[in-house]
Amino acid sequence: MEKRIRDIKDRCLEKEDPFCASACPFRLDVREFIGRMQRGAFSSAFRLFSNTVGFPAIVAALCDQPCRNVCPRGRMDAPISLNLLEKAALAYAANTGPNSYNLPPKQGRIAVIGAGISGLACALRLASKKYAVDVYERSGRVGGALWDVLDSAVFLEDIRLQFSNEEYGLFLDHPVSGLDPLLEKYDGVYIATGSGGDSFGLGREAGPDEGIPLATNLPGVFLGGSLTGATLMEALSQGLKASLCIEDFLKTGEMRSAKKNNPTRMRLAPGAIVFTHAVLPASGEQYSKEEAAAEASRCIRCRCDACIRHCGLMSYFKKFPGRIAEEVQITVTPGTLDGDGTVATRLIATCSQCGLCGEVCPENIDMGDFLRAGHQAMHEKGAMPWAFHEFWLRDMAFANSSRASFSAPPPSGEKCTSVFFPGCQLGASDPRYVSESFRFLLGLEPGTGLTIGCCGAPALWAGDMALFRKVCEPLLENWRQAGCPRMILACPTCLEMFSRYLPEIDCVLLYDVLAGAGRPSPERGDGTVVSVFDPCAARNRETSQQAVRSLLREAGFSLAALPYEGKIAQCCSYGGQINIAAPKYSRWLAEKRSNDGEHPYIVYCSNCRDVFLQAGKPVRHILDVFFGLNGESAGAPTFDERRKRREKLKEDLVRKYWPELEEPGKEGAMDSRNVLTIPPDVREKMNGDRLLEEDALAVIEQCEASGCRVLDPATGHCLGYGEIGYMTQWVEYALSSEGYVLFNTYAHRMKIELE
Amino acid sequence: MEEKTKLMCGKCGVEMVPAPTQFSYLGHVFRTEVLRCPSCGQVFIPESLARGRMAEVETILEDK
Repeated sequence: MEKRIRDIKDRCLEKEDPFCASACPFRLDVREFIGRMQRGAFSSAFRLFSNTVGFPAIVAALCDQPCRNVCPRGRMDAPISLNLLEKAALAYAANTGPNSYNLPPKQGRIAVIGAGISGLACALRLASKKYAVDVYERSGRVGGALWDVLDSAVFLEDIRLQFSNEEYGLFLDHPVSGLDPLLEKYDGVYIATGSGGDSFGLGREAGPDEGIPLATNLPGVFLGGSLTGATLMEALSQGLKASLCIEDFLKTGEMRSAKKNNPTRMRLAPGAIVFTHAVLPASGEQYSKEEAAAEASRCIRCRCDACIRHCGLMSYFKKFPGRIAEEVQITVTPGTLDGDGTVATRLIATCSQCGLCGEVCPENIDMGDFLRAGHQAMHEKGAMPWAFHEFWLRDMAFANSSRASFSAPPPSGEKCTSVFFPGCQLGASDPRYVSESFRFLLGLEPGTGLTIGCCGAPALWAGDMALFRKVCEPLLENWRQAGCPRMILACPTCLEMFSRYLPEIDCVLLYDVLAGAGRPSPERGDGTVVSVFDPCAARNRETSQQAVRSLLREAGFSLAALPYEGKIAQCCSYGGQINIAAPKYSRWLAEKRSNDGEHPYIVYCSNCRDVFLQAGKPVRHILDVFFGLNGESAGAPTFDERRKRREKLKEDLVRKYWPELEEPGKEGAMDSRNVLTIPPDVREKMNGDRLLEEDALAVIEQCEASGCRVLDPATGHCLGYGEIGYMTQWVEYALSSEGYVLFNTYAHRMKIELE
Repeated sequence: MEEKTKLMCGKCGVEMVPAPTQFSYLGHVFRTEVLRCPSCGQVFIPESLARGRMAEVETILEDK
């Protein structure tokens, strides 16, 4: 876990500099500068610029804009005119003078050799920190090479202005012939003697890992500027950095060169830039305030944010992978013994683990996979609240119980060549999806057997690997006993589980088989436009994606693409079974996915189907089209119906194909002979709360048997509770001639501890 | 089925009265007053409490 967290933090590019800042000798915080310019905060933008470059008027005049060459807008329309924006900041700032800081004098005397722009920049920064600074210049004027390239009125005024609050010694016409006298008098020296200047016999080449200014082999002596071949802007920036190197030496005694400017690793998400026209100054030279704000607004303030753009979880909670990794770290390994600070428990249980983030991340960081590992770690520690997954684990237990699950050889008695494994939810959505598919498969290949059950995904999503293995192992054993046949799966999640955890099994999705059969669908789409909503679990199954599309085209439907499909398919919200841990987010996600496309969806995952039905989105399963079922759109089954349908499916299939396997009277759906009458409004409420009819009946019978119940004389109703798994469920009921009437039921997670 | 209604214990036939009761969730144990039978200790939690304060505390404990 620790290693994975470090790996995510190292690889995530969120904190990388934008391209412009990376190319800028000053590493100007362009994102922040632009943000201030966008809102017309010229004074504040100027302050940031001035603090970064030291001499704002000189830099605004001479900046050669290396950022223009790397601005990604250059490949789309035109790079951002950052220099014009700098000039606008300078022109429209209310106050362009330096700030005055009333600081006490600092210990440490520094000599700067050369009053060119590099030396002056170093002197300015150290003087403003109240070190004693003396500048030695062999000529009779300050400015060095600036005299060759800029109007002296501009740079002399900027130098005057920036030094206006500082005291420093300036020794003009004072050539320095050797360092020894300076080293006796000063604690630090910056050699900035300009292009072709004297380096006093010290090396002027930077090592492979070094930046400039260079730490020389003389303690306290640093060297930089045009002397090392730097351009004027680089020389200025090196002067600013030299002040930090010298201060570092004064404080620590360590001689460290400036850090090398590493190029940014930033990557932009595709589609991040939308075409705009560059803003040209109407005056020809300088932006008006409005023009400056408009040009600044063209800047997209580059950030590697593909994950947060595409992932529902990261965009909803506004958290980048680095932040999530940190939160998971302190949650899984809290710093205190009582586990305080487990901030990400719910977040861990909120990820659909769909893998989209890894797909869109330029570094392929799969946070879903990481959060799955976090979930497992939390489960192993017993720190994941049981309530987040208990309902679904009970559903899995039901699906794998003899009430719904079974395995049978080909009804024809032939050798088993394939086994149809529809998964646990397909029959719950509509039993005909299973029965019709099986009938069709038998027509294609009489040696097809049938296994109905759950692949174990709910256990994996709950982080319970031991339980997951308990589900997987019998599946593998059954497959071996059946002679290692091909498995035909209907659920893309099952396929993902099988290929990852049971790779020895040869699997194929049902839809590939249907498309390959060449049988026409009974339905004619007559050009109806639909969109295929690819399930996240099938993002790497291009053949299946195409199989579904070809089935639809052959049935006469027209297809409209969705923004997210194929490789970048998004989860409908079912993945990870997150809706108990994060009901609000889960609803938001389902709603968002429903609105991704205006046309009805065709899905090939029954969970996608049921999520969209619940959200009110017109949706059909590809099996609806292939077998001519469910007309326009079916209703979403309730949790009670889902159980009953699976039981009925087993009963019907066994009766039809394997009557010899029928076990009359064994482990019926409801052991009780009592009938529970539930008014429709109560039923709807129960479904919303995931409370099951059979559990309510069990609680009532328990209350009746023990006599432990409360009477409400006003209504004549009985009230009692029972524990269903970890949950405590309450029932309000009355006796009826056939059994009971349920008036209300609700539950809580807290356990009542009777003393 | 709100608190103000008089409720009777189905077993003992006596009126339910507020009494301290122990609850536990995720390893945390706490006591609070709910309606109980003074004779046999039968507990009653109204829906308003289960969906209100109890659900709030459950969420707090899950996020702790």
